[in-house]
Amino acid sequence: MDFIAEGFVKAVGLLINGDSSIWSAVLATLKVSACSLLISTGAGLPCGFMVGYFDFKGKKQLRTVLDTLLALPTVFIGLMVYAFISRQGILGDFGLLFNLSGIVIGLTILAFPVVTAITASTIEGIDPELKLTLVSLGAGKRHILFTCLWEVRYGILTAIVNAYGRVSTEVGIAMMIGGNIKYHTRTITTAIALETNKGMFADGIALGLVLITIAFLVNLSLSFLRKQ
Amino acid sequence: MTQDHPIYHLKNIRHYYGQKKILDIDDLDIRSGSITGLMGPNGSGKSTLLKMLAFALKPTKGRIFYKGREESGFSPEVRLKVTLLTQKPYLLKRTVFDNIIYGLKIRNDHHNLEERVKTALSKVGLDFQTFSHRKWHQLSGGEAQRVALAARLILKPEVLLLDEPIASVDTKSAELIRAASLKARDDWGTTLVIASHDLQWLYSITENQVSIFNGNLFPTGIETIITGPFEKTGDHRCVKKLTGGQALLLKAPGQNEENAVVRKENIRIESLEQPFKDGINRMSGHISAMLLERESNHVLVTVLVQDLSFVLKLSPDRIGSLGLYPGKTITLGFLPEDVEWF
Repeated sequence: MDFIAEGFVKAVGLLINGDSSIWSAVLATLKVSACSLLISTGAGLPCGFMVGYFDFKGKKQLRTVLDTLLALPTVFIGLMVYAFISRQGILGDFGLLFNLSGIVIGLTILAFPVVTAITASTIEGIDPELKLTLVSLGAGKRHILFTCLWEVRYGILTAIVNAYGRVSTEVGIAMMIGGNIKYHTRTITTAIALETNKGMFADGIALGLVLITIAFLVNLSLSFLRKQ
Repeated sequence: MTQDHPIYHLKNIRHYYGQKKILDIDDLDIRSGSITGLMGPNGSGKSTLLKMLAFALKPTKGRIFYKGREESGFSPEVRLKVTLLTQKPYLLKRTVFDNIIYGLKIRNDHHNLEERVKTALSKVGLDFQTFSHRKWHQLSGGEAQRVALAARLILKPEVLLLDEPIASVDTKSAELIRAASLKARDDWGTTLVIASHDLQWLYSITENQVSIFNGNLFPTGIETIITGPFEKTGDHRCVKKLTGGQALLLKAPGQNEENAVVRKENIRIESLEQPFKDGINRMSGHISAMLLERESNHVLVTVLVQDLSFVLKLSPDRIGSLGLYPGKTITLGFLPEDVEWF
């Protein structure tokens, strides 16, 4: 098991010395996860609010579909997005394949149901007195939407963190759509998979440490926000 | 302060939860600037009615007129003028100050907020320095209730609807809520509709009372309700047997009529000077409560006959001449024909 300990030591060295291939993968990961999270949150929050807040015909079925999408296999998303953005696909002309933008599309599809479903569950769990209170204080529809979201902000943050956890640790989509091209579409996870296959444990561990650090920082900032 | 024209007019209101009828009101007027008490047992429809008056709930059928104009709810004309304090008020997850100014912010009213919050808090007996920066979870039940009331009073509403405002507060808080509500009416002409189980408190603040039972409205205030089971006797009469063995003879109900009401004016007290004649229902019970009705200056006397409460309305002189006091055993009576079914 010495190779693991050695790997850790080497990994720290690689990170401190600013190994360009490692930091390129880190940057690519931050770019695709931030973009996909931004889009999926922007679309998922209002959708989740509507699903959770309003009663409508087919709501139960929609929730079932959303919950099913939570467990959507990433390779399947990769396959479907690949089919759409490859040369034969209807979005083939946009040059999204083997590009970070293509990965963002796949990761957004992965994160959207997570944000939507958890937001919907959070909104459904709102105290029924809240809406009545807001209406009785004169709130219009826009105020009700924003105040409700603000009241369940910790639940919403949980949704976003969950979505972040999925997109930042995802391999299948990044590998299939991005192609794991060094200095271009290689992300932390695809790099770890590659380096492990090559027996380069130090590189893999270095990238793993970065991934864990990012997750830790995200959770730390969440705890800080909660205390506010 | 009270004006003759109604601020609310409810016409043929029917409301259902699934198949169950929750409210059945043919006609109800609430005068502008009045203080109306709403009473009735749990599940009678009080909260549902208040939500409708707040335009937070649309009736299944019927029309609600506000200041003579039919309103279906959520229009800014009524939304910003009517406010409801629910039984368990929800405080937003922010400070007391931010909770109180929430309604003003919605109205884009940012003028002199600190001074207005100070005034609103003082009206409900809370100190600005001590409470304004407290968070929602740092308040007791009574304090939360008063903060919620302050958040409504700061809006100077045309209508203030209070649902069980003193259900979970101590005597001091109840008195503060009473004083603040009365001041709102006296200062701004606010119309008040208050639902409460505490009849003594309710009668001390309200000018007129309506009671609700199973969704049916009794505009004459608290009345004696007799519920089933009833035994049919075959001569267009039926019998209600009380737990202690006493039996009441009532005229038979019509179709779909399940409960009987005996109006206050139809219940008599037997005395040596006025002994009951044959054919009258005679019941013995003890006086459980006596309440002064502010507007009429009459006393409402509740007499417990086994598991049934009978309510009479007597003048103070009559109370004196009969020597009535809580705990005294008296004999009541009413004619079988005097019951109304609903």
